[in-house]
Amino acid sequence: MTTIEWRPEFAIGIAGIDHEHQELIGWIGQTLAASAGAGGDREAVADLLGEVFAKVSAHFALEERVMKDRRYDQLREHKQDHELLLDDIRDIMDDYEAGSDPVEERFASRLSEWFGAHFRTHDARFHRSLPAG
Amino acid sequence: MNVLKRLLRAIFERLESGLDAACGPRFNPLVQLGAIGWFLFWLIAASGIYVYIFFDTGVEQAYTSVEALTHDQWWAGGIMRSLHRYASDGLVVVAFVHMLREFAMDRMRGVRWFAWVTGLLLIGFIYVCGITGYWMVWDQLAQYVALTTSRWLDALPIFSESISRNFVNNAGLSGRFFTLMAYIHIAAPLLMLALMWVHIQRYSHARVNPARNLAIAIVMALGALSLVKPALSQGAANLDALAASVGLDWFYLAFYPLIDTLGAGGLWALALGVLAVLAILPWVPPLRRPSPAVVSLDNCNGCSRCFDDCPYSAITMQPRSDGLPFAQEAVVDPDLCVSCGICAGACPTATPFRRATALVPGIELPQHGIAALREKVQAACQGLAGKPGVLVFRCEHGAAVRPPAAGAAAVIDVPCTGMLPPSFLDLVITRKLADGVMLAGCHEGSCYQRLGIDWTEQRVAALRDPYLRDRVPRERIAVSWANPVQQAARTAALDGFIAALAEGGRAAAAPAGAGKPAWRLPGRGLPAGLRQGVQLLLLAGAMWPLGYLSATPAVRLRGEHEAVVTLTFSHAGRHQQECRKLSPEELARLPPNMRRSTGCPRARWPVYVELDLNGHTVFAGTEQPAGLWDDGPSSLFERFRVPAGAQQVAVRLRDSGRESGFDFTAAADVDLRPGQNFVIDFRQPGGFMLK
Repeated sequence: MTTIEWRPEFAIGIAGIDHEHQELIGWIGQTLAASAGAGGDREAVADLLGEVFAKVSAHFALEERVMKDRRYDQLREHKQDHELLLDDIRDIMDDYEAGSDPVEERFASRLSEWFGAHFRTHDARFHRSLPAG
Repeated sequence: MNVLKRLLRAIFERLESGLDAACGPRFNPLVQLGAIGWFLFWLIAASGIYVYIFFDTGVEQAYTSVEALTHDQWWAGGIMRSLHRYASDGLVVVAFVHMLREFAMDRMRGVRWFAWVTGLLLIGFIYVCGITGYWMVWDQLAQYVALTTSRWLDALPIFSESISRNFVNNAGLSGRFFTLMAYIHIAAPLLMLALMWVHIQRYSHARVNPARNLAIAIVMALGALSLVKPALSQGAANLDALAASVGLDWFYLAFYPLIDTLGAGGLWALALGVLAVLAILPWVPPLRRPSPAVVSLDNCNGCSRCFDDCPYSAITMQPRSDGLPFAQEAVVDPDLCVSCGICAGACPTATPFRRATALVPGIELPQHGIAALREKVQAACQGLAGKPGVLVFRCEHGAAVRPPAAGAAAVIDVPCTGMLPPSFLDLVITRKLADGVMLAGCHEGSCYQRLGIDWTEQRVAALRDPYLRDRVPRERIAVSWANPVQQAARTAALDGFIAALAEGGRAAAAPAGAGKPAWRLPGRGLPAGLRQGVQLLLLAGAMWPLGYLSATPAVRLRGEHEAVVTLTFSHAGRHQQECRKLSPEELARLPPNMRRSTGCPRARWPVYVELDLNGHTVFAGTEQPAGLWDDGPSSLFERFRVPAGAQQVAVRLRDSGRESGFDFTAAADVDLRPGQNFVIDFRQPGGFMLK
């Protein structure tokens, strides 16, 4: 099973954002754990997916605010990436509710892929754009 | 009060609907009166600066410089002067209609009292500017303005000498007075600008510029009026005479003739009475407002979206108080919150998909909680039987929603469509709780909560946070903006939307623009190309009364064969007690630095005066000395209209406190020309001067 773990290099140095990144990883882990068990409680997983969606939405709102305040030059691209992920999470949620196919793996891989790519490119770039110290 | 308000409201709503059809809701002048006021202010300031360059402050220069400006350079200075006048007249109209409309729409109670009261003060400033402006020209109208305003001000007990005495005759008039007028005429607009800024302080995103094509149309209409009917002076002022009549600018001076019937004191009472009644209106009755929005810190990460969207600047972002590692938190000022809920609509945690934890958003209205809203949505959608079925979120201030058939639409009332988080639309559409969602708000150009409609449209179009996510099909989301009298448009929009959903396609596309707009019924009324023309025609029509009332009709100041006798003085009566040597005991009581050999009590006798014309006493009065210690001069300025021709004038004055008899007398037989101003003045030394 794919998991995401907090790594110190993820830290971008803004306390609130790092705190939420860690929280998010916790919620995602909880969701994945709930869906992993055979015959897991589908409703609980659906609820957790909704919770992740809400947390990610709020987190992006804060991140975009910080970027706006610091006049980050790639806010547009970064925000597009945010919106795309929110759209994807919502599709996964809908598919899970519909019960059409097992989406846990999709959820896990999409998130870990996103986290990885997003951190490597956007968040890291933003991190570098912050004044040192 | 409520009946009046409802009546006015019905009138305004109908007018607005008519203008919507003619001009389009975004260019409707009635929904941007405040912004038009700002625009007129700038227009007045710009034309005023130009006119001021050529204005000279002097008794004769004031008039001649304005005449030269008007005629020698009619193509520039003349037009600027006319623009200055007509834009100022327009500002009076706009300010009063603005006030009336905010009253009719009930937008002055609650936290909006602040704009109401500062607005009243602004109207006062408009009048100070207008009156001093007319005064500066020093023509016949200026003379009327000067004498009437002075008479009005003299009724106040704060001036030790009568202001009217500056305008006794041509010889006594000082050019310095025009310097003072010019100073006030520049200072007042500057203060007014500061107050205009204060006026809109409590509104975020306050609209201070009208739609561009409306602004252009206003300049064109005022420019045309300036060419057709240039603003002119009414003959040089002449204090030695009184004109038979004078044309008034009724926008500024309509209440001036009342001074003849009410007297100066009566006019003050009327003005202050009206002002007092207007000033208490926001509390008649006080607005009973639902509880203000509340912040849940556990769900707030300080993203400041609510701060960005609050139309009333009721939310501030402040340092975190609960120890969580975020920098800020939202704080609601309950005194400024109007409970519109727009903040909840902006909160990213207000999403109905949250189920593992309680659905408590970072900010929401206690009476219109987001969790309760989710339940309402689920209940309402279960009642939908139509194919297709539409869920309508309806703003309390807009037109009603009348479904074409039972079960075709379910309605949820909200304080403002801006209260709805976009993810609710996502939930209803993608989970197929309904086939479509309609956002039914109030008037498009003038949202009751100011920004609810703008934010709602922009969120749906993914132009403003929080975005409605990209993959939610916009053809299943409709907007309908209609005030209560635009019921037909509202019903047509709902019917049209249901029909479009049944066809499964976009029957009527939203106007092209950035983002992904919602479905809307194409606006009825004039084609867009014609609107500009109609708007111009409407404004041109409004120019006729503006031009007419700015100088006509005239008021009669005297009969054809009448002259004026002015009785005036500023004279200090004699001291009530003579100076005397102070006794040693009295001296000892005084502080050492104030000891002097003689003491002179300061109080003076009042001055008593009588005037006879042709043997009849027309005036007998006692004028009290000015000053807190009764040590100032007594002053008088009274005018009498008399038949022209032979007059026997006799005048007597007593200033020594004696019981009977007079200290000064004078008499003369005079032959008065019609319109002549015969002045009886008193100076010391010299006594009475009759001429």
